[in-house]
Amino acid sequence: MSERFRHEALFYGDRTEFLAGTVPFITAGIAEREPVLVVESRQKIDLLRDALGGQAEAVLFADMAQVGANPARIIPAWQDFVSERGAEGRRLRGIGEPIWNGRTPDELVECQRHESLLNVAFGDGQPWWLLCPYDTSQLDDEVLHEALRSHEYVMDARSNSTDSTVFRGIEGSGAPFDRPMRDLAPGSRGIAYDSETLLQMRRAVARFATSAGCGADRAKQLVTAVNEVATNSIIHGEGQGTLRMWRDGDAVIAELHDTGRYRSPLADRARPGASPGDPRGLWLANHICDLVQIRTFEHGTVVRLHMKVDPLHQLHVVSSAAN
Amino acid sequence: MGIGDRPAGYRSAGGFLIEDLFATSQREGPVYADRHLVVTRTNNPPGLRFAGEIDITNSDAVAQSVRQAIADSGDPHLDLSRLSFCDISGIRALVEMAMGLDGGRTMLLHGLPKQLQEVMRVTGWSGLPSLVLCTCSGEAE
Repeated sequence: MSERFRHEALFYGDRTEFLAGTVPFITAGIAEREPVLVVESRQKIDLLRDALGGQAEAVLFADMAQVGANPARIIPAWQDFVSERGAEGRRLRGIGEPIWNGRTPDELVECQRHESLLNVAFGDGQPWWLLCPYDTSQLDDEVLHEALRSHEYVMDARSNSTDSTVFRGIEGSGAPFDRPMRDLAPGSRGIAYDSETLLQMRRAVARFATSAGCGADRAKQLVTAVNEVATNSIIHGEGQGTLRMWRDGDAVIAELHDTGRYRSPLADRARPGASPGDPRGLWLANHICDLVQIRTFEHGTVVRLHMKVDPLHQLHVVSSAAN
Repeated sequence: MGIGDRPAGYRSAGGFLIEDLFATSQREGPVYADRHLVVTRTNNPPGLRFAGEIDITNSDAVAQSVRQAIADSGDPHLDLSRLSFCDISGIRALVEMAMGLDGGRTMLLHGLPKQLQEVMRVTGWSGLPSLVLCTCSGEAE
């Protein structure tokens, strides 16, 4: 393999093609004594364990539904793998399938951004090979085309690798993300916040989250995440911003808009170091929220925080209504 | 903003009256007080009790006052059971205070709300040698 990070899409159309692409990739890694981590759905992990037989013992598996529920948590997981298992520049292999039919439209967009940001996070680092399976029978053509933009190489089910002619490059992968976000129903009035009104803003978030069906813990968590993003507005965004909130499906969405700009494309997924001064707000928001969407425009930044309302709370509402 | 600007009967998210705390702290002299937070001394164990909220608007001022209050010898005990909100800047202030303690002293946090424990874990601030989470029950006096 090459002497740098190799980010490769694997296009497969069915279970046979999936195994034909992944199993030789894994066994070649085992033969080279390279650490191998597979982040896949439970079903695919079972499939691979069966196909690998005894060789599965040499492979690390993780459930993508847990690791990548919020796709911004996947890069830190790969970074842990590379730093823990790849001492002294040791080569490694990974398989990660963050995009499947069933991702919500918002999740899909953030997964696509994640695929591009992998190039930024690892492009200049130590050599390792990440294979990202895409199910061509389930995914739209636009999704497959975007995979060609975010991956430098593409592999078919016969393990033939070719260069992607439309790869956007490492620099292009980290360009400010300004893709418009999904339109939400009008109706939420904007709440302006600054350092004088931060506490009232927290009260408003708590009230909205509770009335939308969040339990006390989730409401508190959303308050914490919103407060950290608002704090960034106060420090970096000319001291103020505007908050809007929606109940959207099974989630609450809080959107914060200010005139600041995040400089680093990895700002929200860079693990804080030991220094107390390291930024931690966006990192925390990504570990609290189900999804965080960040858009950087010429004149400002928009952050959407998604928090699912408690399933238990919803059940409670249903049962009390039935009574 | 000074403590005289508080609205009368202001009730914090913790459910107790800031008025009461204010009266107590006035007798003993509060270490720190603003619209959202009162920090008072406790005698047993010797330390400080935080009641209210810490965010970017007061974390620097709180840190300055508290650092002076715990400058004497001994391990400072901080009772945080009535801290109804604390953002990352507030936790950062506590961490920096603990890291700045001289002579092998240790800062002990009592009653740290579960959610703040989780925030400290996620943000990589658990396991600092000079900052100990105390899980003993009972409030400071």
